[in-house]
Amino acid sequence: MWTLSPAELAIVLLSLKVAACCVLVLLLPAIGMAWLLARKQFWGHALVDALVHLPMVLPPVVLGYMLLVLLGRRGWIGSWLYEQFHIQLTFHWWGAVIASAVMAFPLMVRAIRQALMQVNPLLEQAAQTLGASPAKTFFTITLPLAYHGVLTGGILAFSRSLGEFGATITFAGNLEGETRTLPLAIYSLTQSPEGDAAALRLVILSVLVSVAALLVSQWLERRLLRSQR
Amino acid sequence: MKKWLWLGLCLISVLAQAEDNKIKVFAAASLTDVMNVLVKQYGQQTGVQVVPVYGGSGTLAKQLEQGAPGDLFISADEKWMQYLKDKQLVQVPTIKPWLGNRLVMITPQNKPLTIKAEASTDISQQAPGYWCTGDTLSVPVGIYAKQSLTNLGWWDKLKSKLVSTQDVRATLSLVERDECDVGIVYASDAQSSTKVKVAGEFAESSHVPIVYPMALLPQAASETAAFYRYLQSAEARKLLLSYGFKPLFND
Repeated sequence: MWTLSPAELAIVLLSLKVAACCVLVLLLPAIGMAWLLARKQFWGHALVDALVHLPMVLPPVVLGYMLLVLLGRRGWIGSWLYEQFHIQLTFHWWGAVIASAVMAFPLMVRAIRQALMQVNPLLEQAAQTLGASPAKTFFTITLPLAYHGVLTGGILAFSRSLGEFGATITFAGNLEGETRTLPLAIYSLTQSPEGDAAALRLVILSVLVSVAALLVSQWLERRLLRSQR
Repeated sequence: MKKWLWLGLCLISVLAQAEDNKIKVFAAASLTDVMNVLVKQYGQQTGVQVVPVYGGSGTLAKQLEQGAPGDLFISADEKWMQYLKDKQLVQVPTIKPWLGNRLVMITPQNKPLTIKAEASTDISQQAPGYWCTGDTLSVPVGIYAKQSLTNLGWWDKLKSKLVSTQDVRATLSLVERDECDVGIVYASDAQSSTKVKVAGEFAESSHVPIVYPMALLPQAASETAAFYRYLQSAEARKLLLSYGFKPLFND
C-alpha cells in the first residue's frame, strides 16, 4: 500500500528532474537580470522590470500559448530549431523545463535582487580601491554576500516548477514519461472515472515531495547561516 | 452616493443572473461546431437562449457531479453517461443514443499520409512522429483510440509517442499546428478543418460503437424538453449529417 509503483516513481523522478534543470537553467540569467535591475540605472528600466514580472500576472495558459507560437515546431524560433538541428521542444521534457523556467524566472530574480540591494556598496568600493576588477568584486564580494538570495530564489523556482501546470500542459503537452509531471498526472487521473484513488495517492506524494523540498531548503539555510558566522 | 450606486448595480446584475432562464447544454467538445449552429437556429426560431458548455465528456460529467448547473448533458461515449446514471444525476428515462461517429487518423494538411488500419502495417515505420489523441483514460476519443490501437497491436509501439489532450478539439488544433504528426479524432472533427487531411479510418469493429447519448439533468428547466425534441427533429438531422455525424434517432 505504501510503496511506490514504478509508474509513480517515474512521475516523481521526472518532476524532480524538470525542477532541478529549471533551477540550473535559470541561475545565470536570473543573477544577471537581478544585478541589472538592482545596480544599473538605464533608459527603459521600468519597462524591463515590468516585462520580467509579466509571468507572475499573466495566466499560465497564455504563456504556454506564447511559447507554442514562438518555440513550437511551426513557431518563429521553433521552426528554425527544428530545421537546423531537428530539435522539437513540444512534447519533450526540455519543453517542460522551459515552461516552468519562464514561470519561475520572476520569483528568482526578485529574491536575488532583494539580496543584492542589501549588500553594502562600500564593501565593493573597498575591494575595487584595493585593485579588484569589477568582475572579481562581483564574484568574491557581492555574490557571496547575496548568497542567501540566490538560495531562496533557487528554492522558490524549484517549488514553482514542481507545481507548474498551465504553461506546461499547453506548451509541452501531456506525454507519459516525458512531460507528464506530478500536477499533469494528477489532472489526468482526476478526469478519469476510476482515477480518484490513484489521484489521491499522487496528491499525498506531491505534498510529501514539497514538504521534503522545504525541509531541505531550511536545512541548507541553517548551514549557510552557521558558515557565515 | 456613488459607492451605493455601484453596489446597487452589482446587486442587480447578480439578481439578474439568478433570474435568467437560459438552457445550459453540457456537450462533448466534438459537438462544438454543429451545436453552435443548432443553438443559433433554435434561438432565432423560438427566442429561447441556449448556452453551450463544451469540454471533454469526463470533465463535464465531473463538473456536473460537483453541482455545476446544467439542463442537458451530451456525452461522446456511453461510459460517462453511465457514470452520471449510477450516481442518479440524470433523468434516466430521457437517456437516448443521439448520434454516431467514426474514428479516423489525420495528419497536417501539408504532410499527407496514407495509413492502412491493419495489423500488418508497420506503424512505427510508417508514422514515426508524435501521435495525439484525447487522454486514453478519460476522454472518449482517447478511450476509443486505445481500443483500436490495442486491437491492431499498435498500442505498445505508439505508447511512448502518444500525447494526451484534454479533449478531441485540442488534438485537432495540435495537428493543425503541425506539432503532432498524426492525430486520432472523429470523422466529424476531421471534416471540420481544412488544415488537416484524413490518413486512414479505423474499422468500426476495432472499438466499441461510438455513441453520443444525451439526457436531461435532474434540475432541467422546463424549456429544455422542447430543445431536446428539436435536437431530434428533421431539421437537426440534416444539419448533423452535413457535419459528418450519424443521427441515431427517428424524427
